[in-house]
Amino acid sequence: MEAACAGSFLVVLTLARKRRMYMCKRGDDAVDLALIEPILEKYGSRRGTLIPILQKAQDLYGYLPPPVLEVISKRLRLPISKIFGVATFYSQFYMERRGRHVLKICDGTACHVKGTPSLLSAIRDEYRIKPGETTEDYELTLEVVYCLGSCALAPVAVLGDQVVGNLRGDQLSRVVRKRIKETAIPSEE
Amino acid sequence: MRMAKQAGTRPQKAQPVVEDSNHKWIAVCRGTGCVSSESPRIHQALIDELAAHNLDGKVEVRRTGCFGFCSQGPIVVIHPEETFYTHVKPEDAKEIVATHLVGGQRVARLLYFDPSQNAHIEKWSEIGFYGKQQRVLLRNCGIVDPENIQHYIDQGGYKALKQVLAKMTPEQVIEEINQAGLRGRGGGGFNAGVKWSLARKTQSWPKYVVCNADEGDPGAFMDRSVLEGDPSSVIEGMIIAGYAIGAQEGNIYCRAEYPLAIERLKIAIAQAQELDFLGQNILGSGFDFEIFVREGAGAFVCGEETALIASIEGDRGQPRPRPPYPAASGLWNQPSNVNNVKTYAYTPKIICEGAEWFRSLGTEGSPGTAVFALTGMVNRTGLIEVPMGITLRDIIYDVGGGVPDGRKFKAVQTGGPLGGCLPEDYLDVPVDFDSLNAAGAVMGSGGMIVADETTCMVEFSKYFMRFVTEESCGKCPPCRIGSTRMLECLERITSGDGKPEDLDEIRYLAKGMQQGSLCGLGQLAPAPVLSALRHFEGEFWAHIHEGRCPSASCEMLVRAPCVSACPAGVDVPAYLALVAQGRHAEGLAIHRKSNPFPSICGRVCPAFCERRCRRGQIDESIAIRQVKRFMADESSSEPWTPPRMAPKKDASIAVIGSGPCGLTAALRLAQNGYDVTVFERMSQPGGMMTYGIPAYRLPREELFAEIDYIRRAGVEIRCGQELGSDFTIKSLQEDGFKAIILALGAHQSRSLGIPGEDKKGVYHGVQLLRDIAEGRIPNLSGRRVVVVGAGDTAMDAARSAMRLGAKEVSIVYRRSREQVPAQDEEFIATEQEGVRIHLLANPVMIMGDESVTGVRLQRQELGDFDSSGRRRPVPVPGSEYDMPCDLLIPAIGQITWVEDESVGMSRKGSFQVGEAFEIDIPGVFAAGDAVSGPATVVQSVAHGNEVAITVDTWLKTGKLGGVYYHPERHDIPQLFNIDDYADASRPRVKMLTPEERINRQDFTEVEACLDEDVIREECKRCLRCDMEWLERIGEPMP
Repeated sequence: MEAACAGSFLVVLTLARKRRMYMCKRGDDAVDLALIEPILEKYGSRRGTLIPILQKAQDLYGYLPPPVLEVISKRLRLPISKIFGVATFYSQFYMERRGRHVLKICDGTACHVKGTPSLLSAIRDEYRIKPGETTEDYELTLEVVYCLGSCALAPVAVLGDQVVGNLRGDQLSRVVRKRIKETAIPSEE
Repeated sequence: MRMAKQAGTRPQKAQPVVEDSNHKWIAVCRGTGCVSSESPRIHQALIDELAAHNLDGKVEVRRTGCFGFCSQGPIVVIHPEETFYTHVKPEDAKEIVATHLVGGQRVARLLYFDPSQNAHIEKWSEIGFYGKQQRVLLRNCGIVDPENIQHYIDQGGYKALKQVLAKMTPEQVIEEINQAGLRGRGGGGFNAGVKWSLARKTQSWPKYVVCNADEGDPGAFMDRSVLEGDPSSVIEGMIIAGYAIGAQEGNIYCRAEYPLAIERLKIAIAQAQELDFLGQNILGSGFDFEIFVREGAGAFVCGEETALIASIEGDRGQPRPRPPYPAASGLWNQPSNVNNVKTYAYTPKIICEGAEWFRSLGTEGSPGTAVFALTGMVNRTGLIEVPMGITLRDIIYDVGGGVPDGRKFKAVQTGGPLGGCLPEDYLDVPVDFDSLNAAGAVMGSGGMIVADETTCMVEFSKYFMRFVTEESCGKCPPCRIGSTRMLECLERITSGDGKPEDLDEIRYLAKGMQQGSLCGLGQLAPAPVLSALRHFEGEFWAHIHEGRCPSASCEMLVRAPCVSACPAGVDVPAYLALVAQGRHAEGLAIHRKSNPFPSICGRVCPAFCERRCRRGQIDESIAIRQVKRFMADESSSEPWTPPRMAPKKDASIAVIGSGPCGLTAALRLAQNGYDVTVFERMSQPGGMMTYGIPAYRLPREELFAEIDYIRRAGVEIRCGQELGSDFTIKSLQEDGFKAIILALGAHQSRSLGIPGEDKKGVYHGVQLLRDIAEGRIPNLSGRRVVVVGAGDTAMDAARSAMRLGAKEVSIVYRRSREQVPAQDEEFIATEQEGVRIHLLANPVMIMGDESVTGVRLQRQELGDFDSSGRRRPVPVPGSEYDMPCDLLIPAIGQITWVEDESVGMSRKGSFQVGEAFEIDIPGVFAAGDAVSGPATVVQSVAHGNEVAITVDTWLKTGKLGGVYYHPERHDIPQLFNIDDYADASRPRVKMLTPEERINRQDFTEVEACLDEDVIREECKRCLRCDMEWLERIGEPMP
């Protein structure tokens, strides 16, 4: 059984490499390593460009898949340990696949005093995720950020790229529910 | 210290781009705040509407930066008349174009509404928020299109660069900045000119200019607004700095959370390149300069200059020890000048206007202006720019409009997680680098967060500490470990497990962090906690000793906001749940454990619980007072015998005063087995409940029934016994009373302090209410009555006078409607009953020969804020007018007055007591109004409960203090589905109509009890916060 497993895994790996594809550890998204090439071409020769490259890579993939980091390491001639060190240092970078929707709830001081804790507990209760976690169906990732600089709209959250402010009561839950419903991928029934 | 000068050269109001003053244009705020609120759609809608009216090309619609008044956004301003429209929606575009631009009429409903003036304000410059502001740095925000460099140039932009390149040597530039005394606006306040000259002197090339736009402080968005509203000013400043220090490359390190700022910077850079302000051989001067924008990746520590440099280099953003400073060895180990966004943005203006002009703003040590992001619990939040030297009070009250919803100001935090908080006593501290430092706070980069009475200072400092633990880069142990350990201490305290040693531990850790950390993050991180500890130590102790969060915000300590809000800690959710199940008697028993007066409080309590009720955030709070009253009325036929809680003791206690405090203390001590005697000066017990509250609010039979229950506990009440004449403290002690509790009420009416108060017809409110209570009912038919004051006594006196047949009753109050101290319901009822209210009027003389014939009033205006945080009424000279009357009722407040000199009253008429309510005489305690000043029934009950515990402990152990009143907790199961009550609404109270009340000319109770089925349904609207709390603390559901 184990051998069969390992065998089939190897086959998949080889196939994937042939097509420059790689099956990701979590989720079933394929990572297309070709996408990163133009970015490496554009930035690769300059110094101090690791962070911009990681940012662009994350824009592409939604997170930083380990194979992508390996490619970057080879091309920039930087040890993978250093790249891993930088990628894990900054809160903006993610090493795991994230939800289709990312909800960032601001817990900056102004938002905090105006009611962020209750927004957080409402989301926690409804989706059973804590800050930093993603729902099992990869629909929603919850994050807490410190100050989005929109304190006058406190408490404020960002769903994808939509800023929602002056949140009272269950407003935020409603916005999230609506967004997930509206963008649902039709099932194949 | 030199205060802010009345600057001779005020920054000029920016002129429209087209010189023709009739040029019509519309500014649409496209800052982040307003963009979030759909300003791009408003912009498009305005363009479409103009086209529909054939005005396209005639009226320009311009995208501008932030106006700063974000709480009123989205903002649209019509020029040249500067009409300031607030809260604009895309749908409003039609009306703005049709009514204003075509019809020439203002759209009144969109104008800014100033609640303090009760009026719509038309012009931008006339709005209070902008009154004390002085916009130097933000001069172009709201005027220029940040994506069009031509606008910036038309406002005098790039003039400074041209001047520098054509006429000035780098040394002259540095000298000018030095002369101006420009201090770094990132928070440190280091002299920018000195920094530049150090970078210039270092003999190594290339050199770099770095702009720190990694604005990570929570609650701060000054840099973002500058970058979004006027990016070219930052770019021009950087080019000038590059010229001054001899650099050819500039880097702007901007946090990635500001995408709009990054986009606009890139546009401004590209446009500057096109116009030859950037690139090779700028303007033919031979000077080359390029600017790159670097995006941060979300690390607060990168705001520290050495960490920022590491991040630009592509490394982990960790700081390194200084020296060497970046001026010697910075980016790529080359000399670099790192300044904040605002520091660069000031530079072009200083070059153009001269160092002298800059020094004329602000104070001697901190010239110029300060930009703050004013947020938190203030009415007007937003971005403000004020001259240095202005006081915190001016900022919070005049610019910010004070604390919302009449709540009390508690503290202001400057400098964010690396700053400090200042309490009310410090509000007159001038805002500049040095004064704030001296007061224990810092200027910081400009976050200013206001906390009110609902903010728990322990939680507040825990919040900042958690931020630091998450943002500590981990390089040095004092910061990494110290902050984690300190957070643990704070978490213990806020979850009710705090130990007294925790505070010492916090101070010890703070010292280690301050002395041993590598960079400013670790060194300054303890500051918020230390300043909270310095100014609000009592709150920390309340958490540690009593397991109580005075602000009702620590979720582990707050079972339900209503319980925390109730001064007596009555278990509100428990009795609501019981009444919902029809178990009124059990609910009543729970109520009486904390407050023995459910019937009285069910009628007259201001219901602090309802104000904090969480249901109120959704629709309306639960009608808790009505439920309480129902519960009491329902059981009124069965007299209550308070249960004995401890065996009989051989000690007797005297309580002086039979108001709610005295009776509660007497009851609790009697329940604990003591022999208690209450001495009352008046002929009937009850204190202010009897003599201060009229029967139409509190019927006598209900009142006396509840006082009788206290007697049933074995308490003896002796009426007609006055301290000082019938007995003294000494005589009581000689009679063998082991402990004496002074629970005196505040019965003495304050005098007005104006001529004529001795005339016939001056009849104090307290006296009127007392005469009515004693049955000496005055006949006021046909009389014209003027009541002075607007507290509850004034309302009671005025409404009583109406019932006694007065022809006309007026209330005169020197402040405005918002400042009326009486309960809102009372004020409304008073108005309904036909009492005329004259606000902002103050009596200056009582007229008449022997009897009162009228009162001379003087109009008042609201001036500056006084120590109570309210606007001080200022007399308007020459505005005196006379109001005829034949009865003048002063009701401006009461004090306690005792004839026995041995008890040592303080001048204000209140006792100074220790932790156990003890006064200087051994065995004598004081509580209630005599300590706190006039208070409500429930507040006095709370004092009664507390003093009873300390007296009991003192008698048993001889120890004073160290014991605290802990209300009992009852977990009542929830037997129905709350979802069924999601849409239920609060029932309306049944009341006599105003006509019925007045026509009857008696004191029949105004408010009726609600029916049982209505009350039971109402109880089910309760959200049961207490159940959620059980879940939170991990205890099983009942």
